[in-house]
Amino acid sequence: MAKGSLMFISGGVRSGKSSFAEKAAADLAKQTGGKLHYIAAGKACDSEMEARILRHKEDRKKNGISWTTWEQPVRLAELSGVFGDKDIVLFDCLTTLLNNELFSAENLWRKQDFQEKVSSDILHAINEIRKRCKTIIVVSNEVLNEPIGGNELVFIYGKILGCLHQKMVEIANQAYLIESGIPIQMKGEPACKEL
Amino acid sequence: MHFVTGGAFNGKSKWVKDFYRLEEVQYQWISAYKGKVNMDTDQNSADIHILEGVELWIRGLAKEFNTDEVRTRWKNQLRFWLGWEKEDIHRRVILIGSDISKGIVPVEAADRYWRDVTGWAYQDTAAAADRIDLIWYGISQKIK
Repeated sequence: MAKGSLMFISGGVRSGKSSFAEKAAADLAKQTGGKLHYIAAGKACDSEMEARILRHKEDRKKNGISWTTWEQPVRLAELSGVFGDKDIVLFDCLTTLLNNELFSAENLWRKQDFQEKVSSDILHAINEIRKRCKTIIVVSNEVLNEPIGGNELVFIYGKILGCLHQKMVEIANQAYLIESGIPIQMKGEPACKEL
Repeated sequence: MHFVTGGAFNGKSKWVKDFYRLEEVQYQWISAYKGKVNMDTDQNSADIHILEGVELWIRGLAKEFNTDEVRTRWKNQLRFWLGWEKEDIHRRVILIGSDISKGIVPVEAADRYWRDVTGWAYQDTAAAADRIDLIWYGISQKIK
């Protein structure tokens, strides 16, 4: 089976990263004729998320843009079987998934083998989805440009997130940094001409 | 002098190792993250000196001195490194500093002060450097 492509999108809070990701997904789906999937890692990621899920449902009723929404706060890999090889999958967002996984059990986050398992499970899940769909778009947040050494929990979270982001950029076909609604392409060629 | 900056855990050190092919050359690497409290290097050990964790050295200065004194001391340090570089064309100082400037205003006054002086010290560093790279998850942007 041909491997699907991976697009990594990151930006600050309210930078417009989710909107950009959504538009990219819709444009790509138009090209492939595949279905659109939206995976929400949780409600806390973004207060826009619930509104977004609701709007996707409305969109489907109104104009036939067919978003299927999935709420998957942990164990992302469980979803990998549901996608078709022309489908476009938008995952929003990595920071929340890591948060949910890392702090799912009290105090386990201090253990290095647990940290490594969380990290490798997330990478594995993204790769599994990528194998089965046309494109997976992974959205995340820019949260590492402030002091993170003052607190063990923040430090460990930041370290794992930074390493995951490095890995995402390394394996991505395209990587974008969104600044105030402006996408800055950091890696790859534009995925489609509309972007 | 080469200044390499970007967010924490963005791959700055790895980028420096790859960019300067450190597997093939002699270098001296001193790291504030490994608890090195002063910035002294062994001047004759190698032509390439890498100093990692600039923001922590600035924090050390910020604990002791006011803004003017921190900047004066930091500028003197930069001048010293530039002078060392000038003595031999093969010499290179590489400063690696995490960007700590884009979070929410810290609650503690000491942390606010640290963040402020680090910003100013980075501006001084950027002015002194002949090259600056901004690292985003392993991808570099040459901004000077």
